[in-house]
Amino acid sequence: MDSFIGNLELGFSTALSLQNIALCFAGCLIGTLVGILPGVGPIATIAILLPLTFQVDPIGALIMLAGIYYGAQYGGSTTAILVNIPGEATSVVTTLDGHQMARNGRAGIALGIAAIGSFFAGTVATLVIAALGVPLTRLALVFGPAEYFSLMVLGLAFAVVLARGSILRAGAVIFIGLLLATVGTDLQTGDERLTLGMVDLMDGIDFAVLAMGLFGFAEILRNLDNPETRDVVQAKIGKLLPSKADFKQAALPVVRGTLLGGALGILPGNGAVLGPFASYTLEKKISRTPRRFGNGAIEGVAGPESANNAGAQTAFIPLLTLGIPPNAVMALMVGAMTIHGIIPGPQVMTKTPGLFWGMIASMWLGNLMLLIINLPLIGLWVRLLKVPYRLMFPAILLFCCIGIYSINNDPSDVLLTAFFGFAGYAFYRFGFEPAPLLLGFVLGKLMEEKLRQALILSRGDFGTFVTSPVSAGLLLLAVLVIVVAIIPTVRKGREEAFQE
Amino acid sequence: MKQALAVVAVATATLTAATAATSTARAQNYPTRPITMIVPFAAGGPTDVTARIVGENMSKTLAQQIVIENVTGAGGTTGITRGAQAAPNGYTIMMGHMGTHGAAPALYPKLRYDPTKDFEPVGMAAGTPILIVARKDYPAKDLKEFIAVLKTQQDKANEAHAGVGSVSFTTCTMFNVMIGVKPTRVPYTGTGPVINDMIAGKVDYACDQIVNLVPQIQAGNIRAYAIATPERSPALPEVPTTKEAGLPDYQVSAWNAVFAPKNTPKPVVEKLNAALVKALDDPGTRKRLLDLGGVLPEGEARTSAWLGEYVAQEVARWTPILKAGGAVQADSG
Amino acid sequence: MIRIRAPQEIAAGLFLIALASFVFWQTDDLTVGTMRALGPGMMPRALATACGLCGGALVILSFLKDGASLEHWSIRGPLFILGAAIVFGLAIRPLGLFVAGPAAVIIGSLAARDSRFVESILFAAVMTTFCWLLFKVLLSLPIPVAPWLLGY
Repeated sequence: MDSFIGNLELGFSTALSLQNIALCFAGCLIGTLVGILPGVGPIATIAILLPLTFQVDPIGALIMLAGIYYGAQYGGSTTAILVNIPGEATSVVTTLDGHQMARNGRAGIALGIAAIGSFFAGTVATLVIAALGVPLTRLALVFGPAEYFSLMVLGLAFAVVLARGSILRAGAVIFIGLLLATVGTDLQTGDERLTLGMVDLMDGIDFAVLAMGLFGFAEILRNLDNPETRDVVQAKIGKLLPSKADFKQAALPVVRGTLLGGALGILPGNGAVLGPFASYTLEKKISRTPRRFGNGAIEGVAGPESANNAGAQTAFIPLLTLGIPPNAVMALMVGAMTIHGIIPGPQVMTKTPGLFWGMIASMWLGNLMLLIINLPLIGLWVRLLKVPYRLMFPAILLFCCIGIYSINNDPSDVLLTAFFGFAGYAFYRFGFEPAPLLLGFVLGKLMEEKLRQALILSRGDFGTFVTSPVSAGLLLLAVLVIVVAIIPTVRKGREEAFQE
Repeated sequence: MKQALAVVAVATATLTAATAATSTARAQNYPTRPITMIVPFAAGGPTDVTARIVGENMSKTLAQQIVIENVTGAGGTTGITRGAQAAPNGYTIMMGHMGTHGAAPALYPKLRYDPTKDFEPVGMAAGTPILIVARKDYPAKDLKEFIAVLKTQQDKANEAHAGVGSVSFTTCTMFNVMIGVKPTRVPYTGTGPVINDMIAGKVDYACDQIVNLVPQIQAGNIRAYAIATPERSPALPEVPTTKEAGLPDYQVSAWNAVFAPKNTPKPVVEKLNAALVKALDDPGTRKRLLDLGGVLPEGEARTSAWLGEYVAQEVARWTPILKAGGAVQADSG
Repeated sequence: MIRIRAPQEIAAGLFLIALASFVFWQTDDLTVGTMRALGPGMMPRALATACGLCGGALVILSFLKDGASLEHWSIRGPLFILGAAIVFGLAIRPLGLFVAGPAAVIIGSLAARDSRFVESILFAAVMTTFCWLLFKVLLSLPIPVAPWLLGY
């Protein structure tokens, strides 16, 4: 326990130097901005700002870059709530109830709860990393391909629960999402799948392209078709910050979301993306009034946002303790560390404790700064909603185009996004929801990869999924979740049959 | 109407002439604006890190910023294709790599560039040695035993790689062909998951770049059997070379080199080469690259001419190996 | 005469069946493999089959249950919004942000019935300048600004 406090002291003394505070602030500010802008993500920004960090010492550089990363999580929620465009894969869930809250004139409350919940989650996560970082890494190593596959199946079960409409339609849309994830080059043989001969598709469809098309462009098209509803939204502004009652409702979801997100964030290979989905499903299932979900339930924002942020922080654990980056942004951080002469690995903690604990302390500071930055901005964002839509949508359009182009400096990405925009509009006309599709897409790549790896390692034996206790447990849970989701529909069907 | 057309015609002509004049003037004072270096891999990876370290120093020498642009895809060939088709004015260059300029012709039948013809080689930047590694409790003491065990195991052994076209894939194909083993190859997306599963003991072995592996080997999470360079690496002095360990023909390095599109004027290429060489001599840059485990070119290996010949040799070397390893895709028509 | 009680359902169902057929056609040359050794074609085809089955179910249900009717697809919105994005994509590299930006804003704003022409032009200029400051100057993203004029 002594060493724990001693370590925290070391960490804070490093993080609280004037230079490091300034760098943390700069990182958080840029990160928030980047999160708000559609398309432009933390990866592009960190890559671009990397050269700037050469002037600074390694710890300072990493503090700033980390600030960009979790700042982007805060920012991504803002667009999700305000304009129904998820900035990152982790903000997709926030669009479900967050944007509905905005439509009900509760945008300020949604933004406020998102920021406060994220801060709580960030604080808890930082403590967890400080106290349990190393033992938790061992946990991550338990997850081999079979366990991962089962986790993904569980994730898909969540997607079914997430859906607002009929299970059949939700299922169809999830399958389409999974199908889109197969586009690209096959992992094992290098064959091209569904690429239609286009070079742009050889590495698969980019998440941002799909999200901007299905959510961004399609949303604009939807709003243009319904001028009456969108104008009404603009009229209501409502309160700017959550009330006591709101806090009471949101409190437990925040705690649950933090635990779920934090646990999943440790898993290498982007397990963090499941956090918000798991939290949303949990809240919807244990709520006494599940009908509110999808129409602006505050729990549907509080839980996922906390999960989101907790996962973003705990994603640093495999990086700082093992040196293995769990996602693309962390891989970039590895590069940043390497350029500054620090080879990330198991010995970073012991050889350069100032770096390790300094980063952890500055993560908490960063969360505090983000809260301070974001809360006052809520008033600004809410006022932004009052801009006449005929001006707002071309602006959103332009931001999306530039943002998408900037991902890979490839104009065909913009053209592809336009295609998905059309597809999103078609979905809307056919009565399909886009959110489960995105979830299917995000899970699909990992799922197929892990499925094939597991089967290769077990030489084709499907039993490998049930012989491992973790894997079997997850699959069982998935079955339960789906069954619980289908029961109400079946019951309704029987009632209708009786009536006829 | 006729007058309007005349005005437009004269204006266009003047504009064109002016642009042409300024661009020739620019060639004399190269560089007059920032230079874009296309890196065909994701930011943070070994090639990207090398490009940034070298680029930073070159920026100082050339007095113009070298802006790194990551264009990823298709094992690096997307970025290189973009670079090959860029205007040959010296303002777009690229960091090519053993995969993009050596193995690519064998791996991608529809490749849209020829590594030996479509580029002006500028110079070799740094190479990262390849290590043969295995999970920490693999039943073999050294490389000779390891090869013997693999020969008996054949497809019972699990070899992990980071995807078709990646460095770990091509280098291990060569290794497998050389020792006559056909293991079960398990594909992963990226090196991170490979290392993760190897630490967890779920896969048996892999061949990968030293950068990613040093900390894990030092911590004892993974064991290294040999390094495929003529001399031991200062980062891992206890790991024997393949020459010492009994497989002297296995000499492989994931090299990174700077290229310009073909027809880039010679004076521009020479200026770039000079800046690159200066970067390689700068003590700060050298230290950073060596800390990564990189191997730096010396003497003749720093010239553009040498690079051109090396690329031709590499293409000739990899094509039969990859065909033998069954890695070449059949023409799907 | 069998009545379609849920036009939206049948349209959705037919779409899914069409999608499934498209996937089967495109993956014709991939090895499917066996359940023990999955080939590259297995997942796409399995998923396409699932989609097709869902589509079939929707088609059948559209005859059995009442549902939403298929609403009119507007042309104006998709044409101008997606057109604006396409123009941006085609123009950004050769002509740069200073041309592609205003083009996207002006073409896009034509999608709304209540847009005013002069206002759109002014707004386009303002937005483009703002974006240039934000993306190019502040974030230093390598976006072409005006290659035909400035060279970068």
